[in-house]
Amino acid sequence: MQQRARTGARAGWPVPRRALAVGAALVLAAGPATLSSRPAPGPSTAAPTGTPENGQRGAELYRQQCASCHGPRGQGSQRGPSLVGVGPASVDFQVGTGRMPVPNETAQPRRDEPVFSADEIAALVDHVASFGGGGPQIPRVSAGSVPTGREVFAANCAPCHGATGAGATLTNGWDAPPLYEATPVQIAEAVRVGPGLMPAFPSQVLTDQQVNDVTAYVRQLRSERLDRGGNPLGRLGPLVEGLVAWIVTLGLLVAAARWLGRRAGQ
Amino acid sequence: MIVDRFVRAVDDRLRLSPITRKALAKVFPDHWSFMLGEIALYSFVALILTGVYLTFFFDASSADRVYRGSYAPLDGSSTSAAYASTVRLSWDVRAGLLIRQTHHWAALVFVAAIVVHLIRVFFTGAFRKPRELNWFVGVTMLTLALANGFTGYSMPDDLVSGLGLRIIVSVVESIPLVGSWLVFLALGGEFPSDEMIPRLFISHVFLVPALLVALVSVHLAMIVRQKHTQFPGPGRTEHNVVGSRLWPSYTLRSLALFAWVLAVLFALGGLVQINPVWLYGPFSPAQATSPAQPDWYVAWGDGALRLFPPWEPRIGDYLVPAPFVPGVVVGGVTFLALYAWPFLERLRTHDRRRHHLLDRPRDHPVRMGVGVAALTFYAVLVVAAGDDIIARLLRIPVYDLLSVFRVLVLVLPLLTGALAFLLARALRRGDAARLGDLTRADLAAARGREPPPAAEEPEQPARDRTGERIELWPEGEVWRWRYQDPDAGVTLVGNRAAPTEEEAVAAARLAYPGVDRVVVPGPPPAAPPGRVRTALRRGTDLVMGVSLLVAALRQRRGRRGPDGPA
Amino acid sequence: MSPRRPPLPPAPPGVSRRIVLSFLVSAAGAVGFAVTYGLGGNTRWEGVCLAVAFAGLATGLATWGRRLVPAGGYVEEHEGFTPPPVEQALTAEELTAPDSPIRRRGLLGALALALSALGVAALFPLRSLLPWDRPRPDEALKTTPWRPGVRLVTAEGRPLRPEDVPEETVVGVFPEGAVDAGDAPAFAVRLRPERFTRPPAGGHLDGLVVYSLLCTHAGCPVRLYLHGTGRVLCPCHQSSFDLFAGARPVAGPAARPLPGLPVEVGPDGFLRARGDFTAPPGAGFWSWP
Repeated sequence: MQQRARTGARAGWPVPRRALAVGAALVLAAGPATLSSRPAPGPSTAAPTGTPENGQRGAELYRQQCASCHGPRGQGSQRGPSLVGVGPASVDFQVGTGRMPVPNETAQPRRDEPVFSADEIAALVDHVASFGGGGPQIPRVSAGSVPTGREVFAANCAPCHGATGAGATLTNGWDAPPLYEATPVQIAEAVRVGPGLMPAFPSQVLTDQQVNDVTAYVRQLRSERLDRGGNPLGRLGPLVEGLVAWIVTLGLLVAAARWLGRRAGQ
Repeated sequence: MIVDRFVRAVDDRLRLSPITRKALAKVFPDHWSFMLGEIALYSFVALILTGVYLTFFFDASSADRVYRGSYAPLDGSSTSAAYASTVRLSWDVRAGLLIRQTHHWAALVFVAAIVVHLIRVFFTGAFRKPRELNWFVGVTMLTLALANGFTGYSMPDDLVSGLGLRIIVSVVESIPLVGSWLVFLALGGEFPSDEMIPRLFISHVFLVPALLVALVSVHLAMIVRQKHTQFPGPGRTEHNVVGSRLWPSYTLRSLALFAWVLAVLFALGGLVQINPVWLYGPFSPAQATSPAQPDWYVAWGDGALRLFPPWEPRIGDYLVPAPFVPGVVVGGVTFLALYAWPFLERLRTHDRRRHHLLDRPRDHPVRMGVGVAALTFYAVLVVAAGDDIIARLLRIPVYDLLSVFRVLVLVLPLLTGALAFLLARALRRGDAARLGDLTRADLAAARGREPPPAAEEPEQPARDRTGERIELWPEGEVWRWRYQDPDAGVTLVGNRAAPTEEEAVAAARLAYPGVDRVVVPGPPPAAPPGRVRTALRRGTDLVMGVSLLVAALRQRRGRRGPDGPA
Repeated sequence: MSPRRPPLPPAPPGVSRRIVLSFLVSAAGAVGFAVTYGLGGNTRWEGVCLAVAFAGLATGLATWGRRLVPAGGYVEEHEGFTPPPVEQALTAEELTAPDSPIRRRGLLGALALALSALGVAALFPLRSLLPWDRPRPDEALKTTPWRPGVRLVTAEGRPLRPEDVPEETVVGVFPEGAVDAGDAPAFAVRLRPERFTRPPAGGHLDGLVVYSLLCTHAGCPVRLYLHGTGRVLCPCHQSSFDLFAGARPVAGPAARPLPGLPVEVGPDGFLRARGDFTAPPGAGFWSWP
C-alpha cells in the first residue's frame, strides 16, 4: 500500500479515486466533516484531549517514531529541527500528509500514506503542543468564494505551485508539490504553517476568509471538469503540447504523405 | 454534356482552354517527401478558416471587462476584455473551444510541417540554382509563421503568454542603441501598455496573414514556373519531370491529404487540451506561474536565454544586457545563416549549374554534417527550455541539469554532425542502399581521404546508350509521344497531346536530348499497364475475340443461306 | 474533337464499395457533428465527429486516387530556363533603348532623390506609434511611480504596517495609487539582520527589506520565495537572488542584483517609500545608468 501510495504521489496528477479513499478514511475516522462543499462547524481534531491515556499514547508514539530525530523533549537535534512552538497545525499537516515520519533521509519529505491513524495523529499533536506554546492552531475551514480564492491563489500560490496547481521545481532538488491530493484542512494548514521552503501566510497577510476562499479554489483545481478541452497532458504546458504536435505531425501526417505518395501496387 | 457547355462558356469569354489543358496535364514527381510542403499549406488553410471564425468572438481590447459565464472561478472577476472574451469563447460559446483549440493545434503543426519541409529541401539541395528565390520566400514564410504564432497565443492576455511577452520585450530592449525605442514604438509606451493587445491583433489577423498569403502564392507560382525538382532515376533528366499528372491523380491524392490534415487537426482540437487560458488566469505584471514556457517554436529562444551565462558587459557608459547575445544574436544569426545558405554552399562547391535533379542526402556529406549539427543544436535548446519540468519529473536539482545542458548544447551538435558526415560519406563511397546496409568496410572508407572524383556524368544521356528511344504516334487529330528504356523497364508517356507532329517532336527532344526518335504508326502495343488497364485490355480482347468469332460465324451462315447449303 | 467519350472502365468491385462507404461514413460524421452541436455541444464529440467526417473524405479520395486512377508514368518536358542569349540581349536592349528613362542618369538621380525623400518622410508618422504625450524610453525606463512618501500597499490597496510583514512570509507591495503599473511591483520580507553578508541596497527596517519584484534578466516577477534560505527564484529562466547578500544573483542567467526600495515608517504608522528604486527595475537596456 505504501509503495503504491508513493507512486501515486510522484505522479503529481490527481488520482481522484485514491485521494477520495484516503480523504474518506480520514473523514470517517476524524468525525466531523472536513470537505469544503459543506460548512464544517467546530474543530476538526477528533479525539478529546487531556485524557491521561491519550497523553500517554501520544508520548509513546512520539518516543517511538519522532524522538530519534527531534529529540525527547522536541528540542531538535542535528537530524531534525526543534518542534517547540511549531503549533498543532504544523504537526497535523506533516503527520497527516504522511510526510512525517520520513521513511529515509531525503532532502524533501514527500506526501505519502500516513503512518498513523487519525486518533494517533491527534494524540501526537497534543503531545507536541505540550512541549511549548504558540504556533498556528489547526484551522477551521468553512465555505469560501471560489472566484476570490482564485485571485488569492494567483497572487500568492501560483508562482511556486503553478497556476494549474500541478507543482513546479524549486532549487536543490526541492519542488513545490502538486495540490491535487490535499484535503481542505491540509491546504489551510500549509498556508498558515509554511512547511519546508514554503512561506507562511499568517492572519495579518491572509485573513481566515481568504484562506477559506483559496482552499475552495484549490479543491476546484483538481476537478477534471476544468479540463474542458480534453486530455490535459499533465497540465504541464506548451512544451508537452509541442511534443504532441511533433509526434502527430511525424506519425500521422508525414506517414500519410508516405502512403499517398506511393503508387498503387508499390 | 454539362462539362462541355461549361468549358465552352468560360472559354468564349476568357480563352482559358490552352492554359487549363496544360495545367491539368502538369506532371508532379511521385515522392512522398514532396508532399510535406502541402501539409504546411493545408494547415495554413485550416488556420485561416478557423481563424476567421475566432475573429467574430475575440475582443482585442485591454479595457476592463467583467467575465460572466459558466466558468465559475472567474465568474464576476474583472479582467481585460481580450481575456474575458477568450474565456467566454472557450466556455460559453458552442463549438468555440473546438475551433479555438483546432486553431492552436494547427499553428503548432503548421510550423512543424514547415520545418520538416525545410529539412527535406535542405538535405536534397532543392534550394540550388535556379530555386534560391523560392528558398528565400520559404525562409521568410517560416519567420512570419513564428511571428504569427507568437502574436496569436499572446493575444488572449493570459498569465503565461504575458510572461512570454515581457521576455520578448526585454530581448528587443536589449538591442544596443535602438532597443528601447523599438519596444516603445511597438507597444506605444512602457510594458504593459493598453495598445499592446490591439496591435498584436491587427498584426496577427491582417498584416502577417496578408503577407503569408502573398508569399505562398509566389512560392507556388515559382514552383509551377520552374517545375518541381525530382530525384535522379531512369528516364529522368535535367530537362524533364517524371511522375503523375495533376488531373486526376495528383489532385485526388492532394485533396485526400488536405482532408486528412483537417481530420487530424479537428481530432486534436476536440480531444487534447491546449493552452487552457482559464486555468492560467489573466495577466498581471506582479504575478507569475511556474513552469513558464512558450510554444515549442519559440522555445529554442527561451532555452538559449536559460543556458547563456550571466554576462552583461559594458561598452563605455553603456550596458549590453544579458538577453542580447542569446536572444538577438543567436536568433539573428539563425535567420541570416538560413538566408545565406545557398550562397555559402555555392561559395564552397563552386557549382553554378542549374539543378533540377535532386541530391540524395548522402551526396553532400558536408551539408549533412552541418544540417544535422544545426538541428541538434536547436533541438537541445528546445529541450533546455523545459529544464525545470525535467528537473521536477526526474527529481534532479535544476541547476545541475542546467550545467549538463550548457555542455550538451555545445558538444552534442559537434558529435552528431561529425557522425552524420561520416555516415554520409560511407554511404556515398560504398554500395549500401541505406543506413542499415552499411558495412565495416564502408565506414573505414569514409574516414580516409576523398578518392579522386570519377569523370563527371554528362548532363545529356549518351548517344550510344542502346535501347532508349522515343516513339511518336498519331491518335486521331493529335500526336502523342513516349519514352522507352527496355533495359531499365521504364515507359513514360508524354503528358499531353500535341496538335502537330512538330510540336510532339519538339517536346520529346526537349525532354530527352540526344535520344533517337521513331514514328510509330497507330496506337502502341502496350500503355503503362495498371491493373485497371490490364483487366480492361483482357476484357476487351476477349469481347473483341468473341464478337469477331460470332461475326465470322454469322457471315458464314449468311453465305450458306438460312436454309443450309444450297 | 469528337464529343463521343471513351467508355468508363469498370472499377474493381471492392474498391468502389470501399470508396462509397468512406464517403457515407464522412456524411455520418458531419451529421453527428451537427447533432452534437444542436444538443448543446460537447468539445470532444464535436471534434471526433468532424475528424471522422474529414477522415472519411480522406480515405475515399485516397483510395480513389490510388486504386482507380493510374499514377505515375508520365513525363513533361522542361524549357530549362535559359532563354537563348539573343532573347536576353534583346530584353536588355529594350530596357536601355535611347528613349528609355534609365539612360538619362542625371534625371534619374533627381528622381531618386525625390523618391528617397518621400520614402524617408513617409516614415515620420511611425513616430506617432509612441504617443508624444507619453514619456520617452530613456525617461520611462529609469523611473517608476515610487516617490518619497508614497505608501506601500497590498494588491487590494491596503496600506502596510511593519508588523504586517512577519518573518516567515513574503508580501507583494505596490505604490499607492499606481497598483497596476508595470514596473512598480515590489516585495517585502523580514530577514534576520545578523545573516546579512552584504548590506541591502535600500537599507532595512529592523530586518524588513523591500526589493523590486522584476527579475533583472528579462523582467519576470521573482515570485518564488524560498523561505529559510533567503533566496528568491525567478520562474522564467531560473535565476535566483540571495537576499542576504543584497539580492545579488547567485545562479541562472541574471547578471545584476535586484534594485532595492528604501522605506521608512511614516507618521501614520504605515510603511512608505523614501525614494524610487536604487536602480531601474527589470531587464537592462543600452542606456542603463
